[in-house]
Amino acid sequence: MKPAADAPVVLSTHGLVSGYERDLPIIRGVDMKVTKGEFLLLLGPNGAGKSTLVKTIAGLVPVHAGTIVQEGVDLTSMPPHLRVRHGLAFVPQTENVFTTMTIHENLLVAAQILPKASRAGRIADLYAMFPDLLRLKTLRAGQLSGGQRQMLAVARALIVEPSVLILDEPSAGLAPRIVREVFDNLKAVNATGVTTILVEQNVKAALAIADRAIVLVEGQVRLEGDAHSLGDDAVMAELYLGARHPSAEARP
Amino acid sequence: MTPQVLMDGLIAGAMIGLGAIGITLTYSILRFSNFAHGEFLSWGAYLALAIASGLGYLAGGPASPIGPFSFGWTLPVATLLGIALTAGLALLVDALLFGPLRNRGSAVIILVMASFGAALTLRSLLEFIFTSKPVYFTNALQIARPLGGGLRATPDQLLMLGLAVVLVLAIHLLLTRTAIGRSMRAVSENRQLAGVAGIDVRMVIRTVWIFGAGLACVAGVMSGLLVQIRPQMGLDLLLPLFAAAILGGIGSVPGAMIAGLIVGVAEAMTVQLIGAEWRAAVAFVILVAILLLRPRGLFGRPE
Repeated sequence: MKPAADAPVVLSTHGLVSGYERDLPIIRGVDMKVTKGEFLLLLGPNGAGKSTLVKTIAGLVPVHAGTIVQEGVDLTSMPPHLRVRHGLAFVPQTENVFTTMTIHENLLVAAQILPKASRAGRIADLYAMFPDLLRLKTLRAGQLSGGQRQMLAVARALIVEPSVLILDEPSAGLAPRIVREVFDNLKAVNATGVTTILVEQNVKAALAIADRAIVLVEGQVRLEGDAHSLGDDAVMAELYLGARHPSAEARP
Repeated sequence: MTPQVLMDGLIAGAMIGLGAIGITLTYSILRFSNFAHGEFLSWGAYLALAIASGLGYLAGGPASPIGPFSFGWTLPVATLLGIALTAGLALLVDALLFGPLRNRGSAVIILVMASFGAALTLRSLLEFIFTSKPVYFTNALQIARPLGGGLRATPDQLLMLGLAVVLVLAIHLLLTRTAIGRSMRAVSENRQLAGVAGIDVRMVIRTVWIFGAGLACVAGVMSGLLVQIRPQMGLDLLLPLFAAAILGGIGSVPGAMIAGLIVGVAEAMTVQLIGAEWRAAVAFVILVAILLLRPRGLFGRPE
């Protein structure tokens, strides 16, 4: 969903520094703003810190400095489960479903934070959105194909009706046809008003569905702009397509 | 070999099984072998004894036995309070020791070593407070009654066996049918994912300590009632407890109980066939055999 020009900021980070070790920050001073309903793409070469940045926002990586604010609430030192209650949903890249539980149990676990009366209804909504999951609901998540797993992981995250949905490379390891399906699903979810942040290596396909993109290099924002024009940018070409940036060539 | 071996083994096994459930739960959720678990058994038994004695004193003398059993009303009440206090003790140990290590991201071996330290401290405290002289819940002598088929058991033994079965069923249903059980399974499989799925991981960890220590207290009271209470009782049971937890398959509550019964019966058979001095070796042999032949145990899932 293309947000209006004056759409309010839903999620922001200010001077964010984070990493697993105190003296080894991976994210080194990131300022970013995401507006309501926006589809933001996080790009960058391997090791740029994309995953670390989204994990930090989800509460899985220690923050050394800076803040994370969602809709006026400071999340910086909040444990992950409270961030979910505040409307921040995160889908990790790997191990993103409980493989020993059935599809239905995976959804039940996520629905536990909803009021008892609304759990069954919300799970039914998700089954309506992803009919394949309903068909397979008694199957253990460990038996699902890669695409089905991603679908379950996204459904699990959506159970709580988040205002922000963050996904860490949902296309990793999937066949191109399945990637398109996953992206179509994400676009549809975003169209319902859920602000979406997507980490992707699959640049071309992702730029086609995103509104805006941020390019991260060595833990810092290197480039930021409209998704459709960013594809042509020379820095992008250097980062992803191996072309030399003219200014880089001019350097001694 | 007489059929009575089976009965003796099942009774000892029920005790081992209850203790092993705590070990299997803490291992599957917290990912380390807690060698202080045996001390929760001992502390549970001593706490229940202290409370029962206190209640008896307040009531102006020992309570008269309930029905065919050897103990009065003070023991069940003391056991309930003992469960709460043992759970409190486990939470205290976690808050002071394991929690800070966990938050620091300590390696498993550090947690295991810390649990050895906790075991030593808790055991020494018991010896300091209660001395190492064996004590008993009751001095009443119970006569084993014939049950048919050459089996004999005292009413206390039958009650304990029944109680163990009820507790295992209750914990099993709780883990498989309720929200807290699902949360525990989720944390056991993937702690990070559980957090981002909205589960309060710290609350789940506290629940695990409460269940594990509570069951340890019951096992301690059982052991105290059927044998005797000594500060070393938990240490002596540690190897059978681990053998049962691993034989049953880490994380499996019914597995821990069934394996506890197997270890108990194997020990009883050894005593009769080979000699009492070999009893302690049985658990060790089972432990080594299962680690070599089927490391995931009877009901564990492959890692």
